Amino acid sequence: MDAQATGDPGGGQPWGPHNTVTVVDPSPVNWLSITWNTMEEANRVDHDGIGQPSLAESWRWLDGEILELKMRDAVYQDGEPFNAAMFKLGFDKVQEWTNPHPPGAFLNFARDVTCEAVDDRTIRMRFPSGDSAALMKLRGMHLPSTRFWNEWGFVDPKTGSAEGHW
Amino acid sequence: MLTEGVSLIDSRSDRVVMEPNPTYWNPARRPTVRIVYDNVIGKDEGIKSVAAGDGRVDVVFDLTPAEAKSFPDSAHGKIQTKKAKTILTGVFNENRPASPWRNPEARRALNLAIDQAFVLEHGAHGYGTVIPAFIQPGRYGADPDMKPMPHDPEGAKRTLDGLGLGGRELVFVASPAWKGVVDAIDQCLAKVGMGCHFVSAKDEPPAEFDVKLEWYFDWTPQYPVACVHREFFGRDATLRQGPEDPKFDALYEKLLHTPETETEGVVREVERYLQDEAKALFLYSPFTLFAVSDRVEFTPYDTCMSELAETRIKG
Repeated sequence: MDAQATGDPGGGQPWGPHNTVTVVDPSPVNWLSITWNTMEEANRVDHDGIGQPSLAESWRWLDGEILELKMRDAVYQDGEPFNAAMFKLGFDKVQEWTNPHPPGAFLNFARDVTCEAVDDRTIRMRFPSGDSAALMKLRGMHLPSTRFWNEWGFVDPKTGSAEGHW
Repeated sequence: MLTEGVSLIDSRSDRVVMEPNPTYWNPARRPTVRIVYDNVIGKDEGIKSVAAGDGRVDVVFDLTPAEAKSFPDSAHGKIQTKKAKTILTGVFNENRPASPWRNPEARRALNLAIDQAFVLEHGAHGYGTVIPAFIQPGRYGADPDMKPMPHDPEGAKRTLDGLGLGGRELVFVASPAWKGVVDAIDQCLAKVGMGCHFVSAKDEPPAEFDVKLEWYFDWTPQYPVACVHREFFGRDATLRQGPEDPKFDALYEKLLHTPETETEGVVREVERYLQDEAKALFLYSPFTLFAVSDRVEFTPYDTCMSELAETRIKG
């Protein structure tokens, strides 16, 4: 991801040591921290390690197969509104790849999982065999803006592939 | 929002800059400071900078126990600890020909030889929590009835001698950060007539090693088995040092197909299976350790991720 990946509105307040925090993070998963600092997902994990709603404000299983999520009213940094269609876009993009997540295939949704934007705020995902790991997988499904998908995305320019690069 | 730099799996720029998004929907997580990841200065210099208060670095992540212990008395910074969702555990090498560690009796006996509290105190300056298997007490999926394996050097020696392992010097592969832990394990093993020596994981491990220490962390929203247990024992595990385990795989499949509201019982079942079969050399859950400048109010995450939305400058 390059400098403009999530949008820089420019201008704003003057910056200096008084409002800058400098960190040294040697962790090999530093890339994931920065992704989670700059992108958002349906749900997240708080500082106590507990799952919390994020761009989805709530969810419930309608039965053993269908997960319904209610999306939050939010706006991306570049001004684009977030809605259920953006969730659907994120799902469609990740499903294009066989093994997109660096940590491994355990984060993949099965190929027969479907996702429908019922209205601006409602998503229904169908898991034909059930999947109690669904919310864990959603934690790794990033939901960036259209500009990100159109101008950058997760495709590695060196390989032309997003496998293992999400 | 990211405004400068990259951090990829295989490369990172000299610095990464994130500016706060003033329109972010959640006021509780709306950042107030610019974050600069300095990827040049290095950990040692970063720690010195925090202690000196020279303003170059405010937070250093991932200190080793030795680095935290040696942090100087400072008017400018301190060590901050976090009981994160981590484990430090020993993976038995069941791959080597005629490996004794394919025998659960041998694995259990080696666990009984280890005084986990001693290893934590003497090997890691007490920065951690002794745990029964892979989950800390009180966390999602922890079985309240499970206790850490007892320390029983006499029973351990009887079994290990009986299995022909008495007197052996075991080979432990570990990151240099855990050399103190291996030294403490060596002291425990001396009490059962055995010993161990440290081989750095930075080098190619000898095929005949016995145990490899692995640090791992759980970033999930209450789904530790997929992230951690599976990574050690699952069909697609990257840290497994032995054959596939159909019993573990069956438990994992059961978990995946259990309604979400009922999964905690299955997670406890997995934890009990690990301990009953002595699947690993259970040690402790390391704290995550940070050097933090006094001018910063830093909120660490149990997931070990450097999420910084809540981090503030004091005053």
